[in-house]
Amino acid sequence: MLERRLIIVTGKGGVGRSAVSAALALRAVHLGKRVLTVAMTDDLGLALHLGRERLDYDAREIRPGLHALAVHRPAALDEYLKVQLGVPGVTRMGPLARAFDALASTAPGVREVITMGKVLWEVRKGTWDLVIADGPPLGQIGSHLRAPLTVSELVPVGRVREQAGWMMDLLRDPSVSGMLLATLAEELPTTETKEALTWLEEHHVMERPLVAANRTLPPLQVTGRKIKEAGPGPLRDAARLHQALYEEQQRWMKELPPDVQLPYLFGLHTPPEVAARLADVWGEG
Amino acid sequence: MSSVLLVTGGGGVGKTTLSAALAVTAARNGVRTLVVTVDPARRLATALGLKHLGSEPSPHNDEANLWAAMLDASASWKAIARRHASADVASRLVDNPFFEAAAQHFPASQSYASAEEMANFVEARAWDLVVVDTPPSAGGIEFFSAPAEMRDLVGGRLLRWLTGGGLPGRRALFRLTARPALRVAGTVLGSDLLERVAEFLMDLRTTYDGLARRAAQIEEHFREARTVVIATADPAPLREAARFYRDLPDMVPRPDAVVFNRVLPADWHNPEPPADGALVDNLVRWGAEAHRQTEVRQEFAALWKTEVATVPWRPKTPTSLDDLAALITDAHGLPLEGLGVALR
Repeated sequence: MLERRLIIVTGKGGVGRSAVSAALALRAVHLGKRVLTVAMTDDLGLALHLGRERLDYDAREIRPGLHALAVHRPAALDEYLKVQLGVPGVTRMGPLARAFDALASTAPGVREVITMGKVLWEVRKGTWDLVIADGPPLGQIGSHLRAPLTVSELVPVGRVREQAGWMMDLLRDPSVSGMLLATLAEELPTTETKEALTWLEEHHVMERPLVAANRTLPPLQVTGRKIKEAGPGPLRDAARLHQALYEEQQRWMKELPPDVQLPYLFGLHTPPEVAARLADVWGEG
Repeated sequence: MSSVLLVTGGGGVGKTTLSAALAVTAARNGVRTLVVTVDPARRLATALGLKHLGSEPSPHNDEANLWAAMLDASASWKAIARRHASADVASRLVDNPFFEAAAQHFPASQSYASAEEMANFVEARAWDLVVVDTPPSAGGIEFFSAPAEMRDLVGGRLLRWLTGGGLPGRRALFRLTARPALRVAGTVLGSDLLERVAEFLMDLRTTYDGLARRAAQIEEHFREARTVVIATADPAPLREAARFYRDLPDMVPRPDAVVFNRVLPADWHNPEPPADGALVDNLVRWGAEAHRQTEVRQEFAALWKTEVATVPWRPKTPTSLDDLAALITDAHGLPLEGLGVALR
């Protein structure tokens, strides 16, 4: 997975998308790669897991080998116009920037293509060995991945359309781009992740993603009789809770077998602690 | 008029289940209760043991005072266009390719559509209490600011941006695109895209008067509503919950309760004498988690000067009315009367 140039991490809200993104980035840095992490929508989650208050639009060094940025509009729009479309002096072009902003809020795919454009541009530039994008939530991943195509359908000619071509090519190339779907072994995340996998298969905008089940519990190596013998009290209650949760998780993992299992981290307090531990786990295979 | 209980919070905290649990409790306390959720509504249907859940409130067969409905936000958006625009403009709007996109892109639009449906139920006066499981995409605050956002959007914010000032008439639009800057935009975008967007926005603008009036009524409902924020001890839900105590816009009432879901017993972090190594190890692990949860709750309560209620962690998602009611019975610190779930 870490051999690609781009990994987009997505998942239903609350499954630990940012934690997994930060962990992957830390692991890649550990392997000696020069890594950029990008917060595509909300930057707070990724920032906290990297031990920051927030992230800037310009890439900042978090630690040696690791940079991070957040795609903020209108900075992304500005850069898109300047760098990708070759429209100079955007600041003097108030109405144009405004028009684009109105468009980005209304026309299908334009907002997404600006966000995806920033990520893919960082991949194309070649400054980084690996770009890890803390992507949009699962519900928005389709519209983001399809954005270049949507825009080229909407705009029959012109420079925006030209830009869409190389973006699609980069996304489609499995030696360049990969995706990680973070999920939980619970009902709703499982259902929605399966739906997303079906969508991805039908639209083949990217290779089949890796599915990572987060917060999975280890089996409890105790017989039911032993648990019963423990008698009333926390010892028995904790064992029963664990058993029931474990069985529930197994049931959902049968429904959607994950490629990777990440452990439930008991009693870990801060987001950077969580990211560091997950990075270690990833390293242990 | 019904009283309203808004159940908010980040994704994956058990908002729908607790909405159902509060509604069942209210119904059993003799409060005529409607519980509404936004699509996807499978969770509410499962929790209440219903095979089907429609956009019209239907009475629950096994619970005398309980009704349930789901809101389909995309259908509601079309309803908004039909309600607030003239017939021909409405059908032009609904068929416009930008319409679907605008409905999806503005998080406010989905929330607003749900809020309008909510208001219809509240004003129907058929129930004592309407429990609203707020939209997951809105997470929290956005649900409350949606009416203002929509008023702003429809009122021409984008149109003004597009034109760099005043609101032009339909004919002026074409003169407008003769401006050099917009000509450049035309080159870049390669088509009459801007004109199409502007036309769409102008159609949308005709809904303004109706929508603004409705938005004001919805905000009034919000001000009178009771709210409960659901959280767990995980970072993302905590951030969402904290937003209700920080920089609260004036249309949002301060929450009447914050509820931590999936709470472990606080006494688990003192393992008993060993029975079996694996059992003790297990309790030590969960005890560490229980300890962390307690600390997180105490920090939250101290930081935002609020009481916190707790609902114990149940390994199985409830699938019967009794299971749901038990969640509330087992909860600690829930101000049931204050929330309108129990009669005074």
